[in-house]
Amino acid sequence: MKKKFAIGILILLFGFQSFLLQTHASEANKEYDYKSAEFKEVATQFMCTCGCGQDHYACDMAGCKNTESFKKDLVEMLNQGMDKDEIREYYVQTLGEEILTAPEKKGFSLTAWVLPFFALGGAGTGVFFLVRKWTRRQEEVEISEEVTLQDEVEAEIISSMIDEERKKYL
Amino acid sequence: MYLLGNASIYIGLALAIYSFIILIMGIKTKKQSLINSGKGGVLAVFICTAVASVVLLYLLGTSQFQYEYVSNYTSSELPLGYKLSAFWAGNSGSLLLWCFFLTMYTAMIVFSRKMKGNPMVPYISAILLVNALFFFIILAFVSKPFALLPSIPVEGRGLNPMLQNPGMIVHPVTLYLGYVGLAVPFAFAMAALILKNVDDFWIKMTRRWTIIAWLFLTLGNVLGGQWAYVELGWGGYWAWDPVENASFMPWLTATAFLHSVMIQERKNMLKIWNISLIILSYALTLFGTFLVRSGVLTSVHAFGDSNLGMYFLIFMGVVVVAALYILMSRYNLLKRSAGEFTSFISKESSFLVNNLLLVGAAFAVFWGTIFPLVSEAVRGTKVTVGIPFFNTVQAPILLSMMFVMAVCPLLAWQRSSTKNLKKNFLLPAVLSVIGMVLMVTLGIQKAWAIIGYGVIIFLFITHYLEFYRGVKARRKMTKEPVPIALYRLMIKSRRRYGGYIVHIGIAFIAMGIIGSQNYDTETMKTLNIGESIDVNDYRITFERLDQRAEGINDIVYADLTVFKNGKKIGTFQPEKVFYGNWDEPSTEVALHSSIVEDLYMVLSTWDENGTATFIIKINPMMSWLWVGSIMVVIGSIFAIWNGRYQNVTPKYTGVMKEVA
Repeated sequence: MKKKFAIGILILLFGFQSFLLQTHASEANKEYDYKSAEFKEVATQFMCTCGCGQDHYACDMAGCKNTESFKKDLVEMLNQGMDKDEIREYYVQTLGEEILTAPEKKGFSLTAWVLPFFALGGAGTGVFFLVRKWTRRQEEVEISEEVTLQDEVEAEIISSMIDEERKKYL
Repeated sequence: MYLLGNASIYIGLALAIYSFIILIMGIKTKKQSLINSGKGGVLAVFICTAVASVVLLYLLGTSQFQYEYVSNYTSSELPLGYKLSAFWAGNSGSLLLWCFFLTMYTAMIVFSRKMKGNPMVPYISAILLVNALFFFIILAFVSKPFALLPSIPVEGRGLNPMLQNPGMIVHPVTLYLGYVGLAVPFAFAMAALILKNVDDFWIKMTRRWTIIAWLFLTLGNVLGGQWAYVELGWGGYWAWDPVENASFMPWLTATAFLHSVMIQERKNMLKIWNISLIILSYALTLFGTFLVRSGVLTSVHAFGDSNLGMYFLIFMGVVVVAALYILMSRYNLLKRSAGEFTSFISKESSFLVNNLLLVGAAFAVFWGTIFPLVSEAVRGTKVTVGIPFFNTVQAPILLSMMFVMAVCPLLAWQRSSTKNLKKNFLLPAVLSVIGMVLMVTLGIQKAWAIIGYGVIIFLFITHYLEFYRGVKARRKMTKEPVPIALYRLMIKSRRRYGGYIVHIGIAFIAMGIIGSQNYDTETMKTLNIGESIDVNDYRITFERLDQRAEGINDIVYADLTVFKNGKKIGTFQPEKVFYGNWDEPSTEVALHSSIVEDLYMVLSTWDENGTATFIIKINPMMSWLWVGSIMVVIGSIFAIWNGRYQNVTPKYTGVMKEVA
């Protein structure tokens, strides 16, 4: 019952989430500028080449001249109706993949993204089997030398002894 | 001075060779007199590096530009503090600092009271001496700190303005202390393997030294982040730069070791794994140095192209091969493990999961860092692996890590029964679900933020319960008042409660990271004098733009008056500093911090007509990041503090009669 309740709550939470996401999705046909969220999304994809080590959105204009024209181009492209992926595609074609702040999620570059999780999964499975082996061995040992401490009087004596010992260390 | 500086390096080199040989001979022939001579040598080597460092500091402080290093990194108008901090601004100086710390640690171990009479000492010092020897060779033949110029320049080139910040005085020092510190557990591990003695004493000493190194590494990274935040003007604190990654990887593996060594202590298991983690952490520090000094990757931290990196790569190769050889030759000895696992749901297995995630995270960082090289080698295309990659890959791993951290304290050793689980976890689980629902209803919509904060609530509650139950159990016996019970509970189990304080600190840091990464707002606007920008509850009014001179630097600054909800907070001055001897200007951010958020103001550009462009950011929860970092430091110091009640390091009680 409790399990069902917990799962119910989880489903509700996720449902609520997607509802909220949807309400934000439907805004269209507007002029883009440096402040629009879409511009941020697009500009953060590209690495600034002035050596500041930042993306074009983060690069502070005063320190860097070439980000200025780049940003202008981006806004123009957005206003021409190109979306984030089209703009990325365009720059990768012309300037190469190096311009992106992160590798593409296709082709060989995909290995950058998935290998860590494959490694974790593989190692996790290994650990699982290892622990299972260890616990099984332990169970065998337990069966072979089953000792029961049923005697209540004995248990009481032991616990009082432990209490006495403990007090010494407080 | 020239003579003294160079002599101390060459004599240091000779003494290091001598001490190493005499220690090995002492070990072979079991002659205490030889060992004692080697120990004296260790002290002498330390004195040599200390003298060399003092000489370099003196030269820097007195601006003696005939020295290449002094003229490359300082200029006469620089404040004394920064002249001295140029010690670690370049290759040779920072390697001298490294060597100084290394010999300092070696001397500390050789003459430590706890290590007296321990047969591991000669081995440890010999291993550390090999390290020192490597640095001496570099300092003497490759990157010389006391090289002279053919002619004396009138003025030095000056220190990179980026480095002229108080944070930059401390950040490299702490980072080096951490980096070098990891050589110590490595030496302990190797010595223990050679002596075939991985006992309790070894565990305790190694763990202490690992915590010390870990603490400095943490501090170094936090201070670096803090510096980036106030000095670079991009509002961030961690850029996943190759060099930052280089210090984060050993941090992760050292954290893994600090946890898994507890299983070794309790159950005498995972010995090979633990030693591998130590070797890995140490190798990663060398790998990191290779990255910084070789120029194979572009990085803001790079020291420029030089062949130094190659030396580190070769040294790392030698060290790793030697360490693995020793490990393999002792494999059978280590394989015999006494303890066993009883259940999947136990503290032991949660530590295994913790190790899996930490090492997995370290691997992910490693893979991302070297991927540009891999990609270039495999298909000839260069790629950039930047912040978005690391954030996406690390977020789930580190969040799972936080979850394990939250769950672990309440799991029992051996086996957790269902009853025990229910008793321990029902309340925290219910409360964090309530917390998450509350967050959603209050308008937090991002899944990462909600799950992250939910896990953090869970962590706070489980840790609170640990303290609460401990105090309750103690009071049942002693009837002490709560504060005294809490105090005594903690000081009697320093490691445990120190660890919990560190956990809580990490949770605060996570709060800061999640808040600032997901809910930062940013505006950029060009203003005329008297105009304002409205961002959230703030109104920022541009009062004036002016210029002042400080030494040979010109500073352009703006006065901004900030109001929050109509109430005046104060006047702030974001600056741009133009240096007399440096092309690029630097940014001085104006910052107003509160426990809820930071108002971050950057002066970007300005025009002749008096208009100026400002970047205004609001970074929520940033203060928690710094508060958490302080707690991590307090927790680690608390854990390693030698208490009256605790015999943290038992005296050596080995059976072998050896030279010591």
